[in-house]
Amino acid sequence: MENTGLAHHLLLAGLLFVLGLTGVLVRRNLLVVYMCLELMLAAATLALVAFSRFNRTMDGAVLVFFVITVAAAEVAVGLALIVALFRQRGTVRSDALTTLRD
Amino acid sequence: MPSDLTSLVHWILFLPLGAAAFSALFLRRAGGFAAWFSTAAAFGIAGLSLCVLAQGADVRWHVELAKFGGVSLGFGYLLDAQARLMLFVVSFVAAWIHLFSVGYMQEDAARGRFFAGLSVFMFSILGIVVADNLLMTFVFWELVGFSSYMLIAHHFDKDFAAAASKKAFITNRVGDLGFILGIALCLSLYGTLDFAALKDHPAAKAIPVAVGALLMCGFLGKSAQFPLHVWLTDAMAGPTPVSALIHAATMVAAGVYFMARVSFLLAPEVLQFIAVSGAGMAALAGLCALAQTDIKKSLAYSTLAHLGIMGCALGLGHPELALMHMAMHAFFKATLFLGAGSVIHGCHHEQDMLRMGGLLKKMPLTAATFVAATLSNCAVPFLAGWYSKDAILEAAWHGGHGALFAFLSLAALATCLYSGRMLRLVFLGEANSEEAERAHESPWTMTLPLVVLGLVYSVAGGFLASTLLPAGSLQPIKPALDALGFHLAAPSTVVGLLSLVLGFLGALKFYGSVRGADALRVVSPRTYHLLEHRWMDGLYRWYLDAVQRRVAELVAFLDLLLINGVAGRWVGGGVPAVLGYLTGRSFHRGQARAYALWIVIGSLFLAWFLIAR
Amino acid sequence: MPDGLFIFFAALSLGAALLLVLSRNAVTSAMGMILALVGVAADFFLLDAYFLGVLQVLVYAGAVMVLFLFIIMLLDTEDPKGAYPWKTAALGLAVFFLLAASVLWLFHWSGAVPAVKAGATPAELSTNPAEFVTAAKAFGRLLYSKYLLPLEIAGFLLLVALIGVVSLSKANPESQA
Repeated sequence: MENTGLAHHLLLAGLLFVLGLTGVLVRRNLLVVYMCLELMLAAATLALVAFSRFNRTMDGAVLVFFVITVAAAEVAVGLALIVALFRQRGTVRSDALTTLRD
Repeated sequence: MPSDLTSLVHWILFLPLGAAAFSALFLRRAGGFAAWFSTAAAFGIAGLSLCVLAQGADVRWHVELAKFGGVSLGFGYLLDAQARLMLFVVSFVAAWIHLFSVGYMQEDAARGRFFAGLSVFMFSILGIVVADNLLMTFVFWELVGFSSYMLIAHHFDKDFAAAASKKAFITNRVGDLGFILGIALCLSLYGTLDFAALKDHPAAKAIPVAVGALLMCGFLGKSAQFPLHVWLTDAMAGPTPVSALIHAATMVAAGVYFMARVSFLLAPEVLQFIAVSGAGMAALAGLCALAQTDIKKSLAYSTLAHLGIMGCALGLGHPELALMHMAMHAFFKATLFLGAGSVIHGCHHEQDMLRMGGLLKKMPLTAATFVAATLSNCAVPFLAGWYSKDAILEAAWHGGHGALFAFLSLAALATCLYSGRMLRLVFLGEANSEEAERAHESPWTMTLPLVVLGLVYSVAGGFLASTLLPAGSLQPIKPALDALGFHLAAPSTVVGLLSLVLGFLGALKFYGSVRGADALRVVSPRTYHLLEHRWMDGLYRWYLDAVQRRVAELVAFLDLLLINGVAGRWVGGGVPAVLGYLTGRSFHRGQARAYALWIVIGSLFLAWFLIAR
Repeated sequence: MPDGLFIFFAALSLGAALLLVLSRNAVTSAMGMILALVGVAADFFLLDAYFLGVLQVLVYAGAVMVLFLFIIMLLDTEDPKGAYPWKTAALGLAVFFLLAASVLWLFHWSGAVPAVKAGATPAELSTNPAEFVTAAKAFGRLLYSKYLLPLEIAGFLLLVALIGVVSLSKANPESQA
């Protein structure tokens, strides 16, 4: 364990974050997009724990606790919204949902 | 006990406010009840004032509202002798005018609003009377202006009433600009706004001219002195009780009262200006009253003349004389206006004097009180007006101010002239119109105040003066009056008697010579036209059109060019237009992914900006 | 050179995440996500945050992802037809590499990350409540003292989410305006 430095953990978190971001930008299935968003959140929690451990303080860990809680609530509501959207439109493909166009 | 007195003053000040709030909230529709409610409040105030006066002691009370770095702003009462006199005058006259309004405004549908307005006015004027510092005076000063605005435009659907109220308010504001600059100057020079503190201030020995001059601006506006006198005649567009209460007895006198309060802040140059303009105004306005056919406008010019006389007294260095004349004037002028109101009401809202006539027989009580008040106005010896007016004339003579004495004498002559004219046209002779034919005496609610104010006070002024003397600041007057040689052989008495005989009787004869038209106009139309005094308004109009409008148009043009044009259209409009062209189509496809891409690009840029730079 | 366990779990996470992003089938993506979350939880364990690791597996990989799977199967999206869109995948990977390069630069070459040492293994419990320890009790101590307000608010948030979800799912397709 002594060899993995802070930078390594942060790098992993960063790459996971970027991967999630790519998924959000590229994928058209709303559910997959949502999962990628959650992946970004998870990556952020990883960074938080890494900082918490390396700075020898509990505050980051407690924040992760709250992040997980909020993420759970958010997923529940978001999925309910997607289901409602599916009922309205019959699809979860994002390129079919363009009512905000100019 | 001082604390009892203080709570009495609290009641006096806040009772009208409560009445106004109650009326405004609940009694808008119930006009009749509102009328009696407001009148009861007014009589309550008068009664409480008498209690305060009976004690004869000063009331001082103060509460600090805010403190800014050593400067304390507060709210308080300073009820010294001057204030007690003014309190008596205001509360007494107002109570009777309220009663008069009950009868006068009987057919008016918006009575509730009117009486609420009267109560607001009472609150405001009492605030000025009891105020103990400049800022509080100023706040209530503005409130009085607002009440006046509201009441003049009582019939707001009539164009000329709305225009008149605006004119009154704006003219007052011009004066108030000087007032507030004066307050600021006072604060910066002396660090306090309290009257008592200012009086005892060590630097009060050498007051700069600016302080008095600026504070005087407020007086010029409120008390309709030259050059801000143009609003008073137009203000007659309001209902007659309003004219009586506000524009004859109390509001316009508030300026005189204020000047008397701060007389120690007025430099000799300021006093000189006030004296000269006051005397000039007195003479001019008195003569102009001869060219008005509307009875209220004629009385308005008469008020202007008397205000000029009061100003002259102030300028001569006798604020106590000014206050005394103010008190006397309040009584007989209120009676005159109320009498005019009774006449107008009796002739079914006819206000043109040329269409009246012969009302002596038809409205005897009104006529009697009107005559009594007129005689007081003309300073018939031993009536109320005589004491104060002649004292002022004496002061001018003994001070060696020949020119001022001449102007004041001219004013006295003019007073008798227009008074005689008014009596002749309105009460004597034959009826000149249908309405005058069918005139009848007014109801008791209107005649009782006339009797009380007119017969009792105008006539019994001498008695009044002697009772007020020990209670008021008039204490110093008695020896001064004696010193002035106040006896029948004095020059002022000579002038007075001459004016009476020549002016009054002459006018009675002269104006009876032509029927249905103004005799002066028939005899000398050019003089008449000159006296109609339209040139002052014309002067203001020229200034507004020629000068002010040009400046305003220039500023508007610059604003359009610079702000709208350059900043607005080019910069504010150009940047988004350019950006929009570049990113236009792809920006708003409606696809969330595209938006997400832009978010990512933006945040990357931000991250680079924050971390790497 | 980081430890073997770290490399293993890092590779697991990244591989699973790639699966998540690149696969056409939503259920496969969900599986990838679960695996990625397990990898992250493992990394939590490597960072001595045992409680959080367990929490991650239980709540995130367990409850949240199961919910996702439920919804995916509920919405019954049909299998995508046709050949695999290699071009789009390549575009996606290009985007990924671009962003990854930025991240690498930010975290490695810009010198923004301080070179701290991991230090000794943290104690199980300590007298200083703010110090990083491994016991779950430390969470309790902090949550109920310093972070009491956020705790209460989080409770409220869960309640609100509950009510929101119930009201959102109650509406009938026919009766929706």
